[in-house]
Amino acid sequence: MRKHWIGYAVWLILAGCLYFFENNTGTRVILLCSLLVPLFPSLRSACFGREAQGNGIMPPRTAGTFIRGEAFGNGTALPRTTRTIIQGKEDGTGDIRPYRPGDPVRRIHWKLSAKKGELLIRETQAAEETAQEEYRETRIAEEAAAEELRETQTAEKTAEGKRVRFRRILIRGLIIVILLCSALLLLVPEARKGCMALGNRLFTASETVNAYAYDRFPVPEGQGEVFAVTLLTIAAIAVAALAVTLRSRALILGLITLLTLGQIYFGLCLPAWILIPGYTLAGVLLMRHPTAGSLKRLAVLVLGVTVCCAILFPGVDAATESASETVRDRLSQMAQQLIGIPAETPEGETETRHTHTQTLFTGAREVSAGREYRLVTVGEEQISRPKWIDYVRIILLLLLAVGVVTLPFVPFLLLNARKKKAAEVRKAFLSADVSMAVRAIFQQVIAWLEATGSGGGNRLYREWTGELPEGLPEGYAERFSACAADFEEALYSSHELPEEKREQALDLLRETEKALWEKAGRKLRFRLKYRMCLCE
Amino acid sequence: MRTQVEKVIREVGKAVAGKREVIGKIVTAMLAEGHILLDDAPGVGKTTLATALSRAVGLTFRRIQFTPDVLPSDITGFSMIDRAGGDFVYRPGMLHQANLVLGDEINRAASKTQSALLEAMEERQMTVDGRTYPLERPFTVIATQNSVGTAGTQVLPYAQMDRFLVRLSIGYPDYEAQMTMLRDRQGADPMESVACVLDREELTAMQEEVRAVEMKEEILDYITRLTMASRAEEELAIGISPRGALFISRTAKARAYAEGRDYVTGADVQAVFGDVCTHRVLLKEGAGERTAEQVLDGLLKKTETPDHRSRFPGIMKK
Repeated sequence: MRKHWIGYAVWLILAGCLYFFENNTGTRVILLCSLLVPLFPSLRSACFGREAQGNGIMPPRTAGTFIRGEAFGNGTALPRTTRTIIQGKEDGTGDIRPYRPGDPVRRIHWKLSAKKGELLIRETQAAEETAQEEYRETRIAEEAAAEELRETQTAEKTAEGKRVRFRRILIRGLIIVILLCSALLLLVPEARKGCMALGNRLFTASETVNAYAYDRFPVPEGQGEVFAVTLLTIAAIAVAALAVTLRSRALILGLITLLTLGQIYFGLCLPAWILIPGYTLAGVLLMRHPTAGSLKRLAVLVLGVTVCCAILFPGVDAATESASETVRDRLSQMAQQLIGIPAETPEGETETRHTHTQTLFTGAREVSAGREYRLVTVGEEQISRPKWIDYVRIILLLLLAVGVVTLPFVPFLLLNARKKKAAEVRKAFLSADVSMAVRAIFQQVIAWLEATGSGGGNRLYREWTGELPEGLPEGYAERFSACAADFEEALYSSHELPEEKREQALDLLRETEKALWEKAGRKLRFRLKYRMCLCE
Repeated sequence: MRTQVEKVIREVGKAVAGKREVIGKIVTAMLAEGHILLDDAPGVGKTTLATALSRAVGLTFRRIQFTPDVLPSDITGFSMIDRAGGDFVYRPGMLHQANLVLGDEINRAASKTQSALLEAMEERQMTVDGRTYPLERPFTVIATQNSVGTAGTQVLPYAQMDRFLVRLSIGYPDYEAQMTMLRDRQGADPMESVACVLDREELTAMQEEVRAVEMKEEILDYITRLTMASRAEEELAIGISPRGALFISRTAKARAYAEGRDYVTGADVQAVFGDVCTHRVLLKEGAGERTAEQVLDGLLKKTETPDHRSRFPGIMKK
């Protein structure tokens, strides 16, 4: 048991070193998570609890008891019912056996039962045997689980159990009280400021150590970052491989220590999105018997802490910082020129940083009693982040830009959509289903008539003959009404129309198009072509 | 127009000049196995029409002239003691073995007599003293109602009007028709020249075929939308009932069949809508100037036709 705590201490020291040498969100999260792990019962038991059977991987609960039962072999440790079942199977008592609760009633051997005066079960077919076996196994598992539950319940009733339960309740209560207190604290402005100050104090301290470390142990010249990263990557892969094959936790811890020290030595400032998952994975590898529950708990913990750190600590890593800074300045200049929003930076970038530093670190300034905050002088590294209004501006400007770029294409897009629809209709003209084709063609004729402002409105199409426009060829009305009849047949009946009906309808459409197009003025032609998409 | 229907109309037309349309509607209602209410002034030829129709189709024709004295037992029949046998014997009434019954001036009958007739119309059977007598098939009642001189009459209640499939009115003949009629009547009775062109079995078979007429979802949708619109209409106190909708579909089928089609189109629905529905809706009191016919006509104009509704996706509406 003590060994595990030593391992944990080593891990904590590593996390602390990492934090003091590389102060960023990643290291912060790792340190905090490592500190918080023993507070969660499930994580604690996963990390420092008793070692389970089966090579570190916790077998499923019920199956575990079953295996254990078999391992004991003599059967004394097993509950009575389980023992009888197993023995029954081993003995192979054959066709008749005594009734046990849960056996199907239809299997009871009534005659024999009457004779013997106790219920007997008939076991006949092999298929039934296997089914029985499966059933029996699940029953064993169930009973074992029930047994275990009963055991824990009885254990809780004893004095020992009482103590365990009391401790559990105490810890939970403590956690709740701490959480409540901290929530209350955050409501009071002074306390909030204090928290901030504390955070900043830590931050300053780590920065000091950091600077000291950099002074004392300068990053070796000549060894490029590429080299370091390659080296560390290879080492990390080796760790993973060893962890999988050897499962020796001490070795893994040693290798992680080496990796961390290497990282510190090379002065590699790895970003949080590599650090956090990497070290979480390492933590999981070091866990004694990770279960799904504890892994879930760990994930929640890490996520929560990450979010808290991202909110409470304003630090952003250098690359993102400078990039966002540049973008923001550019955009604010643009905005100023475009819309006339007053400039965010009257003179230069340093000014902005200074003001932001001040607003963000008032608490620190109060605590450090007028001492000029170190980071302002460090300047080139950290601090300062854009205000929310800047993000809004950026989004608005982006939207504006997207709008301006796409606007000229909108009519074309719309036209394209209409053309696609029209093309689909034209495709229907030639469809194998003549009724479908006749419907589409005739409705196209109707669309032409409607587009040119004639037609009977909300009337049945067959009655439109009275409303046809002037200038249509001879006998058009008759052909129209014939086609209307075909249309009705196509629409309202399940008859198959002959092929020539399609031809007739197409002729009518061509005639309509020709007559109406010739008659149409320029405006109407434009409408027909581009708004209605009736012509190709 | 289907030839058999056309023949019947032509034969009846010999006796009643210039009323082709109404005759067609009556034949359609008969095909739909419905009953007809004629709402008209006296002397326009209701009886002549009914008689001619029964002759042309070869139906057994009965005529009841309703007065307040006509009793239900006159219609359904009654049981009386047979002296010789000492037993009750059923004496059939007017509806016995009748195919076409003309109930003249139904609004003058007592309400119990009316309801006896209406029940027979609805059930197509009569029950007398606990015994049920099925009526002949086909069985059609043409009832007439005088719109003038309502003194001492028993106006058909709204709920009972609902039993009739259509309400029609013959109306006065125009100049030409009346001249023809006068000319024809100078010599022999034109009724004599009406030949039987369709027998009872054929009519029954045609009624069966009407049932088989195809009705697409679009048409059902149209009928439903029309009836829903009538229920939402401002000027109507009572819109078209579900039974009304059912009757519209039946009559539309019969019309499609009479037109020689085996599928119903929107035109069929529009053609029968007014006749089937005018007696099923109730105008609000003091709602407006329009009559029920005009309101229903407005509904037809307002409701989107199935032709329009079935527009092919992709073809733009105006």
